[in-house]
Amino acid sequence: MRPGVEPRKPFRDNPRLILLGILLLVGALIVMITLADRSAQLSPDFLSEVVLYALSAADLTMLVALAFVLARNIIKLLVERRRALPFARFRAKLVAVLLGMTLIPAVLVLIVGSELIRNSADRWFSAPIDEVLGSASRIASDYYLERQTVVSDNAQRMARNLAAVDLSADDVSAARTLIVPEVTQKRIGMVEVYRIVPGNGNRPAVVPVVDVATPALPRTYVRASADRLAARVAASGEEGRALEPIGDGGELVRATAVIRARGTGTAQGVVVASDYLTGELAAHFRRITEAYEGYSQLRVLKRPLAGVYLSFFLMVTLMILVSATWMGLYLAKRITRPVQVLAEAAREIGAGHLDHRVQRETADEFGSLVDAFNAMAGDIAASQRKLERSRIELERKHLDVEARRRYVETILDRIATGVVSIDSGGRVSTMNSAASRLLGLPAAAVGQAATDVFARGDLKPVAGLLRAGAHPAEQSAHEIALARGGREVHLAAAATPLHGDGSGSDGVVLVFDDVTPLIRAQRVAAWKDVARRLAHEIKNPLTPIQLCAERMRRHFAGAPEATKELVDECTGTIVGEVESLKALVDEFSQFARMPAPRTVPSDLHALLDETLALYDGLFQGIRIEKRFVEELPQVRVDPEQIRRVLINLVDNAVEALGGVERGPVPVDGREDLILIATHHDSPNSVVRIIISDNGPGIPAGDREKLFMPYYSTKRRGSGLGLAIVRRIIAEHGGSIEVADNSPSGTKFTIELPC
Amino acid sequence: MAGTESTRRRVLVAAAVCLLVAGLRAAEIIRVTPLAKNGRIFVSFEMRDAFNDDIRAVIQSGLTTTFSYDIDLRRSATLWFDKTMSSATVSASVRYDTLTRRYQLSRMQDGRVEESRVTEDAEMVRQAMTTFEQLPLFSTTPLEPNAEYYVRVRARTRPRNAWFFWPWDRDAASGVARFTFIP
Repeated sequence: MRPGVEPRKPFRDNPRLILLGILLLVGALIVMITLADRSAQLSPDFLSEVVLYALSAADLTMLVALAFVLARNIIKLLVERRRALPFARFRAKLVAVLLGMTLIPAVLVLIVGSELIRNSADRWFSAPIDEVLGSASRIASDYYLERQTVVSDNAQRMARNLAAVDLSADDVSAARTLIVPEVTQKRIGMVEVYRIVPGNGNRPAVVPVVDVATPALPRTYVRASADRLAARVAASGEEGRALEPIGDGGELVRATAVIRARGTGTAQGVVVASDYLTGELAAHFRRITEAYEGYSQLRVLKRPLAGVYLSFFLMVTLMILVSATWMGLYLAKRITRPVQVLAEAAREIGAGHLDHRVQRETADEFGSLVDAFNAMAGDIAASQRKLERSRIELERKHLDVEARRRYVETILDRIATGVVSIDSGGRVSTMNSAASRLLGLPAAAVGQAATDVFARGDLKPVAGLLRAGAHPAEQSAHEIALARGGREVHLAAAATPLHGDGSGSDGVVLVFDDVTPLIRAQRVAAWKDVARRLAHEIKNPLTPIQLCAERMRRHFAGAPEATKELVDECTGTIVGEVESLKALVDEFSQFARMPAPRTVPSDLHALLDETLALYDGLFQGIRIEKRFVEELPQVRVDPEQIRRVLINLVDNAVEALGGVERGPVPVDGREDLILIATHHDSPNSVVRIIISDNGPGIPAGDREKLFMPYYSTKRRGSGLGLAIVRRIIAEHGGSIEVADNSPSGTKFTIELPC
Repeated sequence: MAGTESTRRRVLVAAAVCLLVAGLRAAEIIRVTPLAKNGRIFVSFEMRDAFNDDIRAVIQSGLTTTFSYDIDLRRSATLWFDKTMSSATVSASVRYDTLTRRYQLSRMQDGRVEESRVTEDAEMVRQAMTTFEQLPLFSTTPLEPNAEYYVRVRARTRPRNAWFFWPWDRDAASGVARFTFIP
């Protein structure tokens, strides 16, 4: 629809169209009544070919229209009821009542009216009327026949008399003499004599000879009709009779007779005798005849006539029925439609279409209701808009909070501090990845009871911490040590109870910090201090001891042989041990004075290749294998220190496999293998160097002590090698771990940041 | 008063059809006899038992009664409607004069008055209305030699069948005669 164009109103809502329809209906009724009234002027053919067809067609049309209107609306009501549309039941009841109020009286009137028409048709006829009309008609007919017979007898008598007269003669006085007495004696009204002459072809012609008429006969008759009658008789040779109306309403009863010549019997003329019936008498006879014919026709057509009336009656009834039915349906709709529209609008509002409004159609109470409804819809729309704005604001705040929450989660997830929150029900509500890693708990622990989660043997210190933290007023902080993968992890743990706005507890937060490197560093620092003191306190007396021992050997150089041997042996032992002590003190000094690494971007693979090349061909029964990754980024390291680390670790591996003292073929038949592998962990930005052997391995209890100074499993080790290794790696920002190799042996893993 | 009487009379005329049809329905057989000679198809037909008492009563009441006959020369078709080669219409009308006790008879063929006469003989009226002898209706020119044709005659009345609720003809009288055209 084009904007701005008002939609066309349906028929039911257009009073002008309704008025026009009513006027058309009334007009049709008037036409029908007029037609019935003027049917007298209509010809029988028109009545039977047009009027009855039109009536029947109109009946059928009305019947079809009625059936259509009823069927359409009944189906519509059924569909509405099935769809459970509002007011469908009410409307169906209303329509049923209105239809009942229309159909039942109309059908009753139709039945009663039809019966009345039939009864009336039966009463049209009765025996006395039959007798009267029949007798009158017979009398009139007999009178006519009698008059014709009399006229015919006179004509024949005159024809016989005229047989002796020469009709071809010029003098017709003889003929006139014969016929004048017939007229003057009033036995006949008019006599006309014709002479037969040969005509064209075989058909003879007639020529008027003489005619005599009574003065009482009106002069309005036409001679031509007598001429035609005479010619027909002359042609056929048979007598004829005719009834001819004349101008004043009267009639001439005519009869003819052939004049035959005496002796030969040849037809030589024709006599036409006419008797005059006055107009009044003829009119009487005509009325009698018409009355009788009308009555006869009425009787033979009694049943069809009743049918015609029934057809009229049926059509009017159907017209009323169609109109009343439509009107009933229309009224039902007019009553229910406004309410239905309001219900529909309420559904639209309920569905969220708050801009939906109802168009006011009437100015009555329904119109006021529509106004109130529209006002209510406007208020709801305004409230809805306010709510929508609040919702948007709330949503925006929620998004902010959510972003903040995600931010905090990200921080918690990224920090090295482990955080576990326990809700008021004692269940683990959150746990960050650091906590999961430090405590060795899976992510599935979230949601489980904390007592169950921390019931594991290695987590019992955490359970104790949790119990301590459960007291609302206390914040407990402890250092706890957990065994993790065969090594000890030191955690600084704190349990903090959570308090909400109320007085009750909202749970506990456990915070864990891995202080293992700190403790290690503290220990290394302590050992460095010890080493420096030892080096200082021990190295100083060694030189005098050594000098004294050498002086003693020189002093006893001249002594007896036995003494000299004893002194040489003792002083040699003293000098040797002093040298050993000096070497030991040098190592301690080196450990204590290790310089800070000078890192440069280095290619670890090249550094590894260069370092491992020192071992080529050195050991016959030990295979050193390299498994490097294809791509390894440059790493900032001090090449000398890293080379020292590698040599230390490879030497330890060789030592674990038997060292240089072992033969080319192992005793147990297995091949000794030292595997050096590299790995790049790009997500964590670290490079790993794994040095493993398939030797006897290290007991789990000794692994943590391996990196402590002065701890050695070797007979002649100083116990500082792995301590120096750990220190170098730590000063590069990395870490070193030891673990069991699979299936046997030891595996050292170095992680260096890249 | 005279108007009311006249109205009733006119309506009676229209309703008379019902009786005519009732009479015709009892005599629905028309005997048809075609004859080909001298380049024409001569058709004779007779509607038997058409003049029953009801028809006579209608005629005696003074109503002009017309029997119309539609005569078709047709050729049968196997898979389609039969083909109408030629058609003609003849009719016979009669009006009884109660006063003179005479019947005014007339016959027409395709709209032309062929015959008109007055008679007092009811039997002659019956014959004139129902029996037609050797009417030269069709030419043999369009006919194929040795082909089979048939002549169908259907009778109608006027005023026509006019049952008050369904005035249309339902079962007009008819007759058919088949013949093989041999020149």
